[in-house]
Amino acid sequence: MLDTASVAGIGRPAIRRGTLSRYLRGSLKGGEYRWAVAFVVPYLAVFLTFVAYPVVYGLWMGSEASLYRELFADPIYQSTVVNTVLYLALGVNVKMFLALLLSGFFMRPGWWMKVLLLIFVLPWAVPQISTFISIHWMLNGEWGFLNNALYTLFHIEGPSWLNDRWMALGAVIVSHIWKWTPFWTLILLAGRMAIPLEIRDTARVDGATGVRGFVHITFPLLANLYLICTLLSTIFLLGDFNAVYFVSGGGPANSTHVLATLGIRDAFDIGNPRLGVAAVMSALPLVIPLVIVLMRKLRTTEVQL
Amino acid sequence: MAYLTRRSVLRGSVALGASRLVAAPHIAKAAATTATVWFAQGFVQDEDVALRKAVADYEKASGNKIELSIIPFAPERQKIISAITSGVVPDMVDSNPAEILQLYGWQDKWVDVSDVVDTQRAQFSETALQAAQAYNNVTKKRGVYGVPLRAAVVPCHIWRPLVEKAGFKIEDIPKTWDAYFDFFKKVQDNLRKQGERKVYGLGFQVTASGVDPYNLFSAFLVAYGGQDIVTKDGKVHLDDPKVKQAAIKAAAYLGGAYRDGYVPPSAINWNDADDNNAFHAKLMVMDVDGTLSTEVAVKDKHPEWYYKDIVTHGIGYPNDNAGKPVPSIVGFTNGLIPKGAKNVAVAKEFLKYFIQPKIIGEFVELGLGRWLPVMPSLAKSPFWQNPKDPHLRGYVQQGLLGQTIPDYYVFNPAMAEVRNQQVWSLAMIDVAKEGVKPEAAIEKAFKRIEELFAKYPVA
Repeated sequence: MLDTASVAGIGRPAIRRGTLSRYLRGSLKGGEYRWAVAFVVPYLAVFLTFVAYPVVYGLWMGSEASLYRELFADPIYQSTVVNTVLYLALGVNVKMFLALLLSGFFMRPGWWMKVLLLIFVLPWAVPQISTFISIHWMLNGEWGFLNNALYTLFHIEGPSWLNDRWMALGAVIVSHIWKWTPFWTLILLAGRMAIPLEIRDTARVDGATGVRGFVHITFPLLANLYLICTLLSTIFLLGDFNAVYFVSGGGPANSTHVLATLGIRDAFDIGNPRLGVAAVMSALPLVIPLVIVLMRKLRTTEVQL
Repeated sequence: MAYLTRRSVLRGSVALGASRLVAAPHIAKAAATTATVWFAQGFVQDEDVALRKAVADYEKASGNKIELSIIPFAPERQKIISAITSGVVPDMVDSNPAEILQLYGWQDKWVDVSDVVDTQRAQFSETALQAAQAYNNVTKKRGVYGVPLRAAVVPCHIWRPLVEKAGFKIEDIPKTWDAYFDFFKKVQDNLRKQGERKVYGLGFQVTASGVDPYNLFSAFLVAYGGQDIVTKDGKVHLDDPKVKQAAIKAAAYLGGAYRDGYVPPSAINWNDADDNNAFHAKLMVMDVDGTLSTEVAVKDKHPEWYYKDIVTHGIGYPNDNAGKPVPSIVGFTNGLIPKGAKNVAVAKEFLKYFIQPKIIGEFVELGLGRWLPVMPSLAKSPFWQNPKDPHLRGYVQQGLLGQTIPDYYVFNPAMAEVRNQQVWSLAMIDVAKEGVKPEAAIEKAFKRIEELFAKYPVA
């Protein structure tokens, strides 16, 4: 014979299942619900296979505490973190600020502006690995194009650009800015073009032209877009491997590695993929707040571009 | 008229099978099966053609199928490491990078292939047989996990016209270690006096990228008497005064040559290919660089460079400062079978076929001599002894017939980490650029080496 508690216990899961089923169905009925499931399942399968699984696998690979002890004991880890922060701070902000200014420049009317814009986007359009290798060769102290040009034109012996940590890191940052400024300029240009003409005309009538127009009208309207672009660029750059690997190679003396190149070195040169994952995972304290801010900004309902 | 009977068909089949076994002793007739093989792309197309030919011949003879993937060097390395990590592995890979044999042998990730090696054991060089082994930290024993396929050594490459322009002859080059390298400093001084603005005497890779700087430092370490830094039992001997002195002298010579302006300034940040490019641009008189790729790369385009202008000196390294020969450190490509491979039997059978002297010899020769054979008998072939070729005889003498030793990671995988974390490079750069005393630079390097060896305790 069952007592009351047992009866209640048996009944509870049935109630839960019913509630969940009702919750999932929402206002869908019969065949509609089955169609909805049929449409969602492929997406869910792709999401689980290509998003959830790799992320969970990565977290699992980098989950051992001993990996982080080994990572922090690496003599170059500290300088790698400093390089990563500098690379992000300078690379992203200088690039975005230039893109903001240039997007204003490219708003000017005239057919020649379109031609100039076409030339301007070329660095972004060409394959990045070959261009970064070219930059590496161009900066070679003895037979590089830059020093040969300096000597031929001005009889100046140029320095060995990639022999000093700060010059090499500077070369990496400049290469990144050169490569990616056109892309973000186009994005901000599109943002500027989306500002309604009436607003700009009204502001002009009220005397808000030039710098005042930019400070009081354009920038406030672009601010949200600018911030989102900056956050996205930071996240992209954190995983960027190419500029450092092909321009400075992490040298001289392993002094210009960033977390992405250190991770690749640990995973494939040292043959310890878990350590490589740990190197990249050690950036999570920076990435997670960025993603949270980005998500919050994307949910904003204010009238902004 | 003869009629076919059940017995005559059986007899015929047995006879046919037996004749195939006699013709190809390494191929057991079994049901056709498939094995997946990954191999690094060759430096010249002929290498890939030779590999494909060997695979096709094997398939024809055995009835088995080899799914061959020829993959560029760097992606293959990543693919192999990813495969071993995930557990989804092919049936055979080449050891790319070479040290994965020992790094993953330590973790018990390879199938024992001593039965494959045994089929040609008498043919292999002693160094090749040593390098095919790895210490297994699970079984606490050394095992044979690699099948030697080809080898490489680090020769010296010299521009004859630059030596002659400086007023010397190739025959003037001294035969002992320090005097040999000092000679190129004099060549540079003379060339500078003639107004050559950017020619350097020595192409030392004082960089922290790739494998070249490790190879360079190791050659100097051995020449200065530090050969026993790691012994065959896998123990490291950093407290041996002879080893320490040799390391200090190596850091002092290599870093000092850079500091004194005898090495191109950009050498501090060269990658693996940069020294080849710089040598071809005649930026330096001599280069110490692995394999004959420096020469092979220009053979078609500049035959006069290959046959006349570039000298690999024929004898390998100079003697040490006491006049004794210096052994060359040889790196090997081994065939490996990962644990978890679906078709170990076919992979082993293919390897047995592939290492038959005639087949592996032809494979290596079609690579234009960039790689060395692993069997001394193959060095006698007309290809390696061609009197018209100025490089091959010396190269095979240095890397196969002369005094050779395997790389130190063969004895303990910690040395692979020393190489890949560029511990020697940092010591050289400390001396070359930061003005650190060689003793202090080596003290720091030894501390790091000690930390790395602590991760790999060999019983």
